[in-house]
Amino acid sequence: MADSLQLLRGTLDVLILKTLAGNRLHGYAIASRIVDRTQGVLAVEDGALYQSLHRMEERGWVASDWGHADTGKRARFYRLTEPGRRQLRVETANWLRYAEAVFRVLQPTTS
Amino acid sequence: MSAGSPDGSEPRRRFQPPRAAGQISAEVEEEIRFHLEMRVAELVRQGLSPAWAREEAHRMFGDMERTRAEMNAADQRREQRVRRREYLAELQQDVSHSSRQLRRRPVFAIVTVLTLAVGIGANTAVFSVADHVVLRPLPNTGADRIVALWESDTRLGQDRKEVSPGNFVDWRDRAQSFESMALIEPYSFDLAARDGPPQALRSWGVTEGFFEAIGARPILGRTFTLEEHAPNAPLAVVISYSLWQQRFGADPGLAGRAIQLDGQPATVVGVAPPWLRYPDARDMWSPKRWHYDGERTDRRSSYMYAVGRLRPGVTVAQGQAELDAIGAQMAAEYPATNTSIRIHAVPFDEQLLGDVRPALFVLLVAVGFVLLIACSNVASLLLARAAERERELSVRAALGAGRARLTRQLATESLLLASIGGAMGIGLASLGVKALVALSPPDLPRADTISVDGPVLAFALVVTVLTAVLFGLAPALRASRPDLLTPLRAAGRSIFGGVERNALRRALVISEVALALVLLIGAGLLVRSFVTLLDNDLGFDSGNRATFQAFLWDLNPTAEQRLQRIQAITDGFNATPGVEGVGITTAVPFHPSAVDPLSNFVVEGRPPLTTGEEHRIYTLIASTNYFPIMGIPLVRGRGFLPSDRADAPGVALVSETLARRHFPDEDPVGKKVRFGVMGAPRLWEIVGVVGDVRPRTLDSDPRAEVFVPLDQTANGGITFVVKTRGNAADLMPSLRAALWAAAPGQSIYYEATVEDLVASTLVERRFNLVVLGAFSVVALALAMIGVYGLISYSMSQRTGEISVRIALGARAGEIILMVVRDGLRLAVPGLVIGAAAAFVLTRFMRTMLYQVTPTDPVLYGQLVLLVLAVSAAAAYAPARRAASIDPARALREE
Repeated sequence: MADSLQLLRGTLDVLILKTLAGNRLHGYAIASRIVDRTQGVLAVEDGALYQSLHRMEERGWVASDWGHADTGKRARFYRLTEPGRRQLRVETANWLRYAEAVFRVLQPTTS
Repeated sequence: MSAGSPDGSEPRRRFQPPRAAGQISAEVEEEIRFHLEMRVAELVRQGLSPAWAREEAHRMFGDMERTRAEMNAADQRREQRVRRREYLAELQQDVSHSSRQLRRRPVFAIVTVLTLAVGIGANTAVFSVADHVVLRPLPNTGADRIVALWESDTRLGQDRKEVSPGNFVDWRDRAQSFESMALIEPYSFDLAARDGPPQALRSWGVTEGFFEAIGARPILGRTFTLEEHAPNAPLAVVISYSLWQQRFGADPGLAGRAIQLDGQPATVVGVAPPWLRYPDARDMWSPKRWHYDGERTDRRSSYMYAVGRLRPGVTVAQGQAELDAIGAQMAAEYPATNTSIRIHAVPFDEQLLGDVRPALFVLLVAVGFVLLIACSNVASLLLARAAERERELSVRAALGAGRARLTRQLATESLLLASIGGAMGIGLASLGVKALVALSPPDLPRADTISVDGPVLAFALVVTVLTAVLFGLAPALRASRPDLLTPLRAAGRSIFGGVERNALRRALVISEVALALVLLIGAGLLVRSFVTLLDNDLGFDSGNRATFQAFLWDLNPTAEQRLQRIQAITDGFNATPGVEGVGITTAVPFHPSAVDPLSNFVVEGRPPLTTGEEHRIYTLIASTNYFPIMGIPLVRGRGFLPSDRADAPGVALVSETLARRHFPDEDPVGKKVRFGVMGAPRLWEIVGVVGDVRPRTLDSDPRAEVFVPLDQTANGGITFVVKTRGNAADLMPSLRAALWAAAPGQSIYYEATVEDLVASTLVERRFNLVVLGAFSVVALALAMIGVYGLISYSMSQRTGEISVRIALGARAGEIILMVVRDGLRLAVPGLVIGAAAAFVLTRFMRTMLYQVTPTDPVLYGQLVLLVLAVSAAAAYAPARRAASIDPARALREE
């Protein structure tokens, strides 16, 4: 992971929201999925992930409740709320526009 | 896996208690622990040793402390927000539930709200007066360093005697503790009017440093310069706020304007702030002029006032100690005048407010009692209602409402009642304040500022909340632990039901009776004082008499001119229709600006009295027919005759008190005496004795007075007393016109009917009496509503028992007697407690009483009987209802 990229501010939130879309997951599962999806390119510190989760719960984007993990242990599960879904849509659109713009600049010119 | 709650929003926690901070952090710990365990298990699966895996898991987690703190903080903020939202939702529920409950019982709601409105309104009104008059700090800058300075006379036992100019000059020159010290002399000017006669303006002549000493800055212009205090300087004046408003239309450019005073040019240099009214309210201030050569060493003419400002850091006690030493020095230096004279420094707030503080304190306590009674009444009503609502509460408790929730529901109801009552109370208070101000004595300090303003509203708010707590607490606590099963099972009806609750209500009603009796006794003492006072013989007739005080010196400089002018004015009055006669004196009894200086009195032929032991008498001047006009009887000898002219031998009349005091075993008539009347002592022969009069107020004792004829003094500062056939007030305009016709350009210094002079001395007592009387009547009425309510309620509970009694042959009279006895059983303990409390509390009223002991047993007995009678009457209505129960029907319904 030494060569993985540092996350831009606010990016982690979108990643978590996307991961939670249609899923009810505990924190460890969210972390694992993000690592799987990015194939370890993005460095996500576990602590930052939990801070983000709790902050988003405070904002009402995610909700949590206690349940049992596959191991049978008690774990806190997170899911998207309606405002969270809305936030995900907005942020995704922003990101795509941003990425497109950056990409267009960085693309080798075809002249 | 669910995708959130149906509506997608954060689900409302139902049946889930709020999370405490401890629980939040425990959950955070558990979440972190779970994560680390999962991570370690994963890493071990990948082949790491457990120890290494744990280390790696922590590394991947990052800053543990910071994360933990952030998680906790975010969770707590969310928890608070949720709680607040739930609280508001519940409050809304409670309020709408409460108002539904109140609408369902309109009589209960109205009685409760009105009771509270009266209690809160009366308290707010009285607080408003007390706050503005005595509680707020004085507006003077550095008011705690200001003292009023008085002479005290150890021989006459006077501790606040007016100051003589000679003594003041010595005090000012010797005292080191004072930053400044000023002498204040009553004075008057005639202000020229564009049309009509001049207006007499009352003024204070002040020495340099007066405004600095008293801590007042002008709101317009400036105060006097040192040059303006110099002799023969052009006249400068500072005018009062009210003169500025009334006479000069609040002209903001008035400073520096020239006016005509006593026919001389003068300059208005400034306008004083409205609150500056010491020694009392006057129209203006001017630099004190020294009127005659010896005035700076005159230690006999004590008719002035003085005020001083202590140096910073010097206490009143230290200042007084220095003045004590100076007073003793001066007594030794001036044995002829100062043997018994000392100096008395009175803190300024004590000087201004000392007289009104005790009365306002008594009124505050009294009105507090009214509020307590109102609260007891409402608490008692709520307890009765709680009994009716026990089933409702039990059902709600059974459905899962916690005790806290139920208590809050009841508290909301109390607060709602109190808020409506408080809002109405504030409305009542602004009316009450107007009534109080209208009733209040005119010299009540700062009365003009009294209003329902910010601090008063804050007080009303606090009182409202306190009230809600007071009357809501007992019912809420009682109802919040309802016995879940009993009311449901017994369907709310039981033979012994509500014993404990009735005991509480009994205690409330008993304390109401006690409080009401205390107020009644307080008011009763004031009534007795007032009646005793009114019974006092004035010594003169007050009805149908008008007085006009005028100073004739300026326009009539010689004695002959003055006597001629007085005769012309007298003729003018006599020619006015409705006039029966005219008398003239320098000092009408009860007159605020009566001129009656003290003088030494020596009886010829007796050995001379040692210094400091001389007879001191009040010297007055009267015309030939002053005594018959005032209705003052001649007791012995003869009155003044027209033949007692300026060139005839001097004659004098003495008061009965003087005769008794100085001629105990002999007839004063024919005795030769020596005393001065506004001049050097001379010889007078006593020709008669006249009846005593009360000089100042109805409770002032008659004094040793001596009268000499107007013709033999030709005094210019006199008061005409005009006896009229009808109401003197109606005749004032035509009398005024007659005076000006006979004396063009003459100002009238003071005019009033004698009746008004007497009445004005009773305003303060009447104020206390009316206010405390009103409170005690309200208190009694509220307490009797309490008795009535409780008896009615217990009768409704005892229907079965009474039916049985009637069925067994009890007569209506017996039932009525039984119920009325119940009412008296409530009253008696209240009366015992109330009488005991009054015994202790009324001593604080001593200064408000006159010739009544605060513990007068007859009065206590009368009022106890009154309350007993009223209690019996309050119990009679429910008693009648009980006696008319139809036993057959009542038992069937049971």
